[in-house]
Amino acid sequence: MLISPESLAVLGGALALGGGLAGSSIGLGWAGSAGAATLAEEPGQLRNVIVLVSLPMTQTFYGLIILILILTTVIPNLSTMANPSGAGFSVFACGLIAACAECVSAAYQGAVCASGISLLPKTKGQILTNAMMLAVFVELLGVLGLVFTIMALSMLGLF
Amino acid sequence: MLIDASSMATLGAGVALAGGLAGSSLGIAISGAAGAATLGQDPRQLRNVIILAALPMSRAFYAFIFLILVITTSIPTIEAMSDPSGSGFAVFGIGIMASLAFGVSGAYQGSVCAAGIAGLSKTEGRILTNGIMLAVFVELLAVLGLVFSIMALSILGLM
Repeated sequence: MLISPESLAVLGGALALGGGLAGSSIGLGWAGSAGAATLAEEPGQLRNVIVLVSLPMTQTFYGLIILILILTTVIPNLSTMANPSGAGFSVFACGLIAACAECVSAAYQGAVCASGISLLPKTKGQILTNAMMLAVFVELLGVLGLVFTIMALSMLGLF
Repeated sequence: MLIDASSMATLGAGVALAGGLAGSSLGIAISGAAGAATLGQDPRQLRNVIILAALPMSRAFYAFIFLILVITTSIPTIEAMSDPSGSGFAVFGIGIMASLAFGVSGAYQGSVCAAGIAGLSKTEGRILTNGIMLAVFVELLAVLGLVFSIMALSILGLM
C-alpha cells in the first residue's frame, strides 16, 4: 500500500516538527531584524538583544518532542488498535494540532520580542524583564500545544 | 480503510484545537506587542498590561474542551449511527466551525486588548474595566462557538 497507517502517523509527526521549525524561523527572523536595527543604534544592548531574539527557538524543540514520541511510542501501538488504518489518520490529525500551535506561537512570539527589542535603547535595557514576561504568555500556547497533543493521543488510547 | 469515520471526527477536533491555539497565540502576540510599547513608556502599568494581554488565552481551553467532548462522547456514538462515515465527516464540519470561531475571536480580541493597553498610560490605568468589558464582547463569540458546536453535535444525535 502506498500510504499505510504508520506512514500517516509519521507524516503527522513530521508536520509537527515542520510547523515548529517554520514558526521558529519566522519568529527569529522578525526579532532578529528588529535586533539589527537596535544594535546599529546602541551596540551596548547586545546581551539583551540576544536574550530576546533567541526566545522563539524553543518551539522547534516542542515539535521535535512530538515527532520523537510519535515515532517511539505511538507507532508501535498502532497495530494493537481495533482499526489501525483509522488510528494512523487520527495521529495525523493530532500532528496538525501541534504544527499549528508551534508555528503560530513561535512566529508571533517573535513579534512580541521585536516590540521589546525596539524599546531597549529608550528604556536603557529595563524593558527586558517585562518583554520576556509578555513573550512567555505566547510561549505558554506552544507548551499547551505540546501538552494537548499528548493528551489527545492518550485519550485515543495511542499513548 | 485508511480514513475511517472516527479518524475524520478526530481530524475535526484537531482542526478546532489548532484554530484555538493559533487564535490565542495571535491575540496574545498582538496585545503583548502593544504591552511592551506601553511598559517602555510607563513601567507601573505592568499589572494592568498582564491582565489585558492574558485575556485571549481562554480560546485554547475552549478548544480543548471541544476536543475532549468529541473524543470521549461523539466518537463512541459514531458507530451506533445509521451512516457512520457520514457522521464522521459531519463532526469534521462542526470542527471547522469551532476552529473559525476560536481562531478569529482570539486574534481580534487581541486587537481590542491592544487598543485598551495603548490607552492605559494616558488614563493612568482607568481604561482597564472598560477595556475588559469590550474584550468580553469578543469573548462571547468564542463561548457561542463552543455552545453552538455542542448544540450542532447534539442535534445530529452525536452527543
